[in-house]
Amino acid sequence: MKTATIRRIPAPPLPVTLIDQLLAEQVTLGTPAARFAEIHDRVPDLADHYRQLIPLTKPGLGEQYAFEVALDRCTGCKACVSACHSLNGLDEGETWRDTGVLLGGTNAPGWQQTITSACHHCQDPGCMNGCPVGAYEKDNHTGIVRHLDDQCIGCSYCILKCPYDVPKYSKKRGIVRKCDMCHQRLAEGEAPACVQACPTEAIRIVKISRDQKPETRTEAGGFFSSIINNQQSAIPDYTVTQPTTRYVAREIPATAFAADRDRLVPQPTHWPLVMMLTLTQAGIGMIVTSTYAGRSAVTLLIGTLIFLCGMAASVLHLGQPLKAWRFFLGLRTSWLSREILAFSLFAPIPLVLCTLSRLPDFPFKNLCYLITAHSALPLGFIAIFTSVMIYHDTHRSLWRFPLTSARFFGTACCFVALAYAIIHPGFEATECFAVVAIVKLIPEIHILLLQRRYDVSTWFPDVHSARLQFGPLRLLTVTRFVLACLSIVTLAINPWAALPIFLASETLERMIFFKSVQAPKMPGTFGVSPTHV
Amino acid sequence: MLRKILKQHTGPLTRDLVQEPGLFGLGKVPSRLKPASTTTSVCGYCATGCQLKIHLDAFGNAINLSPQSGYPVNLGMACPKGWQALDPLDAADRATTPLLRDATGTFQPVSWDTALDTFVTRLKSIKESHGHESVAFLSTGQIPFEEMAFLGCLFKFGMGFLHCDANTRQCMATAVTAYKQSFGFDAPPSTYADFEESDVIVLVGSNLCIAHPILWQRIMRNKRSPEIIVIDPRATETAQAATRHLAIRPKGDLPLLYALANCIIRDRRTDGESIANTTGFAEFSEFVKPHTPESVADAAGLTPEVIEELAAIVSQSGKRVSWWWTMGVNQSHEGVRTAQAIINLCLITGNIGKPGTGPSSITGQCNAMGSRLFSNTTSLVGGHDFADPSHREKVADALGISPDLIPAEPSFAYDEIFDAVEAGKIKALWIVATNPFHSWINRSRLDTLREKLDFLVVQDMYHSTESARAADLILPAAGWGEKDGCLINSERRIGTIKSVRKAPGQALSDFRIIRLIADRWGCGEMFSAWTHPEAVFKILRDLTAGRPCDITGIENYDQLDREGGIQWPCPASMKTIEPERRLFENGKFFTPDGMAHIHFSAPSPLPEPTDPEYPFILLTGRGTSSQWHTLSRTGKSKLLAQLAPATPYFEIHRDDAMALGIESNASVSIRSRRGEIHATAFIAPTVQRGHVFLPMHYPEVNLLTHPSFDPHSRQPNYKACAVALSVPST
Repeated sequence: MKTATIRRIPAPPLPVTLIDQLLAEQVTLGTPAARFAEIHDRVPDLADHYRQLIPLTKPGLGEQYAFEVALDRCTGCKACVSACHSLNGLDEGETWRDTGVLLGGTNAPGWQQTITSACHHCQDPGCMNGCPVGAYEKDNHTGIVRHLDDQCIGCSYCILKCPYDVPKYSKKRGIVRKCDMCHQRLAEGEAPACVQACPTEAIRIVKISRDQKPETRTEAGGFFSSIINNQQSAIPDYTVTQPTTRYVAREIPATAFAADRDRLVPQPTHWPLVMMLTLTQAGIGMIVTSTYAGRSAVTLLIGTLIFLCGMAASVLHLGQPLKAWRFFLGLRTSWLSREILAFSLFAPIPLVLCTLSRLPDFPFKNLCYLITAHSALPLGFIAIFTSVMIYHDTHRSLWRFPLTSARFFGTACCFVALAYAIIHPGFEATECFAVVAIVKLIPEIHILLLQRRYDVSTWFPDVHSARLQFGPLRLLTVTRFVLACLSIVTLAINPWAALPIFLASETLERMIFFKSVQAPKMPGTFGVSPTHV
Repeated sequence: MLRKILKQHTGPLTRDLVQEPGLFGLGKVPSRLKPASTTTSVCGYCATGCQLKIHLDAFGNAINLSPQSGYPVNLGMACPKGWQALDPLDAADRATTPLLRDATGTFQPVSWDTALDTFVTRLKSIKESHGHESVAFLSTGQIPFEEMAFLGCLFKFGMGFLHCDANTRQCMATAVTAYKQSFGFDAPPSTYADFEESDVIVLVGSNLCIAHPILWQRIMRNKRSPEIIVIDPRATETAQAATRHLAIRPKGDLPLLYALANCIIRDRRTDGESIANTTGFAEFSEFVKPHTPESVADAAGLTPEVIEELAAIVSQSGKRVSWWWTMGVNQSHEGVRTAQAIINLCLITGNIGKPGTGPSSITGQCNAMGSRLFSNTTSLVGGHDFADPSHREKVADALGISPDLIPAEPSFAYDEIFDAVEAGKIKALWIVATNPFHSWINRSRLDTLREKLDFLVVQDMYHSTESARAADLILPAAGWGEKDGCLINSERRIGTIKSVRKAPGQALSDFRIIRLIADRWGCGEMFSAWTHPEAVFKILRDLTAGRPCDITGIENYDQLDREGGIQWPCPASMKTIEPERRLFENGKFFTPDGMAHIHFSAPSPLPEPTDPEYPFILLTGRGTSSQWHTLSRTGKSKLLAQLAPATPYFEIHRDDAMALGIESNASVSIRSRRGEIHATAFIAPTVQRGHVFLPMHYPEVNLLTHPSFDPHSRQPNYKACAVALSVPST
């Protein structure tokens, strides 16, 4: 730009109205640096306040950090929740601490206790054991269970594995995040955000011995051990992961239960998992049948397509699928790693079979076919078994081994029968399919009937699931059963037509499987649903 | 190398959470939120008056906040509302331009010029045809008192109208009237340090733990192992945390308090020295004689033994007893007498003017106390009396206006303004930063009244509040965080708020809106010195000279910040300003005779008792610490919103629920004589049989409440009306 050599004649000033003047003032912020700043580095202002609330020294050998909550000082003000959000710079609505309420007592007015919880930094962390890619680490020195955000593939299995609903999935980021006990602060002798912010000093950090059991660690009453005496408490079973948080200073009556226990809110559907499980099991059933019952190329092809669709769906469940190649890191502890391995081994089988049947003859072709075909059953079985174990290993009641294996292997068996009926239509095949399909319904009906058997004053995880199936999931449940019956009738007329109907019915069954499970969590607040970012 | 490939300990997602020293005494902060500088601001929600440290970027824009550690109120702590105070500023439903309802009834954005023209033309024409009593404003305890004073002075002295009130009528009018009658001035005597210095703390109708968590913090700091007594029909969070809970009958407080006085006087556990500073003790002694523990046991819902025991505890000689009350007392049909019954107990036991004592109301709103001194609605600005000619003279002189411009007659109270609308006397309403279409008792009446109004202006941060949606004209206001000014907390501490965010669009601070209206109305000259909040602060400060609330010793905003807020009084003669001061240490009160006056009258029955048709008593109150009033702000913070139930729920006793066949989480119809709502059943250990509790934050609640009022304070009785429950057949 050229320097102006001629002095510009200023434009005549526009008439500035008071409105313009005030609008301009309104968007002019003060010069804070000049007016209010107090810039200097110094010991944090709250250091004196929290010095008593964190240990003076780092954990020694065989020790770890743990949260300790004095229940007689917690009033549910939720400052800890907000401070966690603000001081950690979390996303909108994201927080790693939550509060809840326990109700109980037999007097009128009764007993009530607010409770605050974050990650329990368990001795045997479910999240870490379940993670297929090793995105969790329990720090050797501090015992803090840390999540490696850049390692995470966003599979959400840790969410299913944590009995306290601690890891939260972030759609925006495609990963989960969770409390890290403000390890960066602790390393510098600063208190975690929640400890700093509790107005009544109810939360502190203590050092505990790594091998102590929680029931011996909770001096008074024992929040975690109250489940032992009280089936109805809806307090998670501490023996699963050995949480380290200590709740002290107030007895928990035997009648205590979580205030949000009776709220009938279905769990997330996990669409990709619904499709993956249903389609892979259906596909495996059809593929296996096709290899034994007369080498049917059509059912093999259809079965393979269904199976591959299921495999494709599973990828949709990952927030960071490109990082999933590290799945082998979890093989030692994670059933999800094992499932990925098992399905990777099974997947070539139907492809090879389909290809072989279209290739011209070559030496040992038949042998190749036979070996491949005979490995379909054992490998298919193993693959489905790993699927079952994934859910069984979450320790969720509805997902326990007998029920889940009945569902998953049941689906496969039904499709074996269905494929058989397609290949060899007839009364015998129909009868066979009808028997398998109806037998598969029995455990589902058994759960449903609990709703009739127990009145509302009784609560346990299965009856909660039954109430969900009768309540908010009623339409799903009814449709699932109607479609199952319809498919049996249809099969008698035309087996091909029964295939989509039964597939739909099984998909609904799997939706119910996910939506009606009782997911253990820390006690929440009445009327408040657990949040997911 | 292989390890690095296999385990990603760093990367962009990890970096999002990396912290570094924040400087400014903050300790570690997230690196991406590291402040370039900080400033302080008193929180804009409740009257606790916590100071927040606002973290600013290089442009002076607030990016985060944390509680201020050195401030004598909150000592580095805040409740979640304070922590999330910046959230509501970013809401999508902020009013960003004036909105005028067109002929088809839809809002159209208009310029400020048009908005001001419409405002002035409409109100002037209404004034011309219907007189100076035909326009009223309803304002708030939520804005700085410089803005309140500007609004009140412009409205009464400049525009020449008379009737105005604020939502403080819904929250502390009772305490104001009680103090004025008893002490001669609206003067809560305690300082928060009294929480820490009491031996016995009595909380009446106060759920401190969630309504004022930071004051509960002060109780928890008490090293004297205090007895903490909660008098409340509900086993609230506070009752659960207290050492003793007296689950009284709703409105059983007044008979109970009289019975306590009876026992104390009967057993001669009074303090003669303190009684010497009062008038009316003899009559009071006579009055309480029939109020024996036995005779009030039924009304109070307590056994005579419990009452005797309580009387002994609150009158132990040598023990410091402090009494604190909140909305359970204020929002009552006889709240003034109940508050005074507490005051009387303090007076006769000598629990006043000493550390750890006092009868204090814990106010609701951040600047209710500022409103009491400066809003120019019920009291003449600066702690004066409209009825007193010398006060009018003094104020007129100080403001440079003619004394004739200051009306001698009182303004209508809130409920009287609505009555006048119904009677066709008031034709236009100007609502500022409050939401009566949600919060007013029996609010469905307002829908009918709206039809009677020729013009309704709503000045608010949001165009979405129940009241804004009913308006003819919406004036977009800047909120807390977007303007400067002062707030006064429950312990009379004056603190500043700061502009740390740009207001969205064309929103203007209430101060600037009022200044524009003054200019457009033709009062620019009268208010030529009222250019910015601090200038007005100095005008108001000077006005207080010689009054009990004298703050002539405060130099400016900077001094307020430097001192950690300053409690009134602070006259120019005060040499050193102690951080915590209480009133009446010399036994002198602000009445003409210098004595505290003992007031009392016989308890009256519930305005709407239960009957077979409406067999339950409906209690209302704060739901959680993350909810504020009508949720117009806290509902905009995602974090705060997710900490409370999104839809209305009510608490009910297990046995009542069983008797009515109500299951946990069932949707239940709640009916009163005024309306019907649906809410989810929470079978809670908190309420007694025959009671239900509804949190006040849901718009449905005031469809049920019964419009009865305290005769002295005109405060609505939100806390008890008769309702019936039924499970809708599915």
